[in-house]
Amino acid sequence: MPAVQDILVLFQTTPALTANVVAWARYDASQGTGIPDLPDESEPPYANAMAAMRDGWQVIQMSELKHRSTEDGYELGPLPYQTVLSKFNELKEENASS
Amino acid sequence: MKDNRLTSKEMAQFVASGYLKFEDMVPKELCDACLEEMRHNQGYLAVGTPFEDTWPKGTALGDAFRLPQVQGLIHSLVGPEPLYDHHAAHLTKAGNTKGPDMHQDSVIDFRENYFDIQLSLFPADTPDEMGGTFLVPGTQYRNVRTGEIHIYHHMRGKIWASCPAGTMYVWNTRVWHGARSNHTGQDRFMYKLRLNPTQPQVGLFDTSDLDDPEIGKILNTNHGWEGNDHRYELMQRIKQWRYVSDQPNYDVGERFMRRIEYQPQKASA
Repeated sequence: MPAVQDILVLFQTTPALTANVVAWARYDASQGTGIPDLPDESEPPYANAMAAMRDGWQVIQMSELKHRSTEDGYELGPLPYQTVLSKFNELKEENASS
Repeated sequence: MKDNRLTSKEMAQFVASGYLKFEDMVPKELCDACLEEMRHNQGYLAVGTPFEDTWPKGTALGDAFRLPQVQGLIHSLVGPEPLYDHHAAHLTKAGNTKGPDMHQDSVIDFRENYFDIQLSLFPADTPDEMGGTFLVPGTQYRNVRTGEIHIYHHMRGKIWASCPAGTMYVWNTRVWHGARSNHTGQDRFMYKLRLNPTQPQVGLFDTSDLDDPEIGKILNTNHGWEGNDHRYELMQRIKQWRYVSDQPNYDVGERFMRRIEYQPQKASA
């Protein structure tokens, strides 16, 4: 079977690749096209992006710093920064429930 | 709860974390009767009308949300005469699985010095594997558009309802939350009721312990996900605590609010 792209997104509160991961998401296209059952995880798969890179993940996007203004400098919303990583894995047959 | 109202420390916990959990809130027999009524749940009642007029009387669910301990909780957060907003009987059937579901309820809500509450009653024992609702404590100050945060599959600090029958959670409706998979052979029920205040939410709880030094530490809670944003989260909590406790100059530690408020050039101009 061919290798296809899996994506791991690490969310952080600073943009550095050494920043602690506070939230995370996996999009494993090699496994299927949906996420029908999400098991609970309390710890991220890697402490930071560099740990993921040492495990073969390639960084395809890192965040830029944000310009802060007097209007929104104290505002909160989505988590501010993310690192997107990619790894190619062997395509597996999709489970009918995926 | 003294006088069935929240203490100041409990209120500070609500301001910091956006939720409180109370076991043994609804007696077992009443829970069983509520469960039966939930199976025949109808649609919304009259949205935006006085709770006391609208909420059914002489029914198990009518009685459960009028228990003195529940009324004390409601009074502490949204006052004695709240409005009924909406309700729902959430059912996660046996074996029903869920994918990413993190969201903020309703539509984005920027109202300052204001929050709605949601009461979540678990009328049956809800162990981990049954898929009780999850919450990310402290996220109530982060406004987002409903389900766009499905992208956060996992987050540090996430908790989920794992509790005996009769447990009630009360939470700020802006807390990020979602449903989980039910890996048991039994259906899972949760009944939620959303209420609005009709008056400023100031000094509604028991303030006799308002000067407890623990309050500052509670407001400074780190839930695990705040990271570099923790002091910005703290400033939002301080603003809400100042409002609900009627202490307009309250601050803690390094007093970050001074970075906005201390401006001698304006005072002397």
